[in-house]
Amino acid sequence: MDNWHYLFQRAGRFFAWLRSLDSPPELPPGDHWGLERPWLINWQWVPKRSAGPGFGPHDYARARARGAEVARNTFGDDAWENLRRQGYVDVRSRVLPGLTYRLRVGRRIQLLWDTLDDAMRSPWPYDYLCINPVYPLPAVEFTAQLYLYVRDREDEVIRVAAPQPFDQLLGRVF
Amino acid sequence: MGRIIVANRHGDQVVEWDPAAETEEGRAAIAEAEQIISESRARGCAVSKKVDGKHVIDTGPFDPQAEEYQIIAPIAGG
Repeated sequence: MDNWHYLFQRAGRFFAWLRSLDSPPELPPGDHWGLERPWLINWQWVPKRSAGPGFGPHDYARARARGAEVARNTFGDDAWENLRRQGYVDVRSRVLPGLTYRLRVGRRIQLLWDTLDDAMRSPWPYDYLCINPVYPLPAVEFTAQLYLYVRDREDEVIRVAAPQPFDQLLGRVF
Repeated sequence: MGRIIVANRHGDQVVEWDPAAETEEGRAAIAEAEQIISESRARGCAVSKKVDGKHVIDTGPFDPQAEEYQIIAPIAGG
């Protein structure tokens, strides 16, 4: 009888653990806006290009639509129109002569050099920079944030960038 | 009204306050907005502020008269 009780107890714990895998991350308590503060959450366990468990197709569509509105507001009308029409936004470097950063939604930054001489002075061995947000964001919204970083905090971009030999989708956006 | 756009996996969530508020509740909203800005900065986020209709990354103290702030995610290579 004791053995059965022990087995049921273990099984109960196992199923509780399984259920916890499918729960959304615990949110910090105590603010009346119901705000999710992503900087307080560990996102390492969330799969690539995912917003985490509990997010359905409708949630993704809604997040992307809201993200596009925020991105438009962040870019301003001119840069937003460029992105919409061309599929990219170019930002001239203020630190590295002859360099233009090409930002595209959900992809690595492409480096464009004016001349071969400029390219020879590149601090990176490759023409793509992989930079991700540390928490999941809609891809278009992160592109707008990257635009601000490249324009206003290029030193930070140079510090964290991981040079890559080829283009690829970013892992922390959806 | 001032506001903070918190970009997160939901797209965004907005925190608003009235800079002219004289009630206890209004002052609490401003204090909470300031706390969100300082907490996010302490965790590595950048903050942009709308100046003359344009967002620029801002490192100054919280200004309750600002039209709009946005919390920008920290970045990492790879």
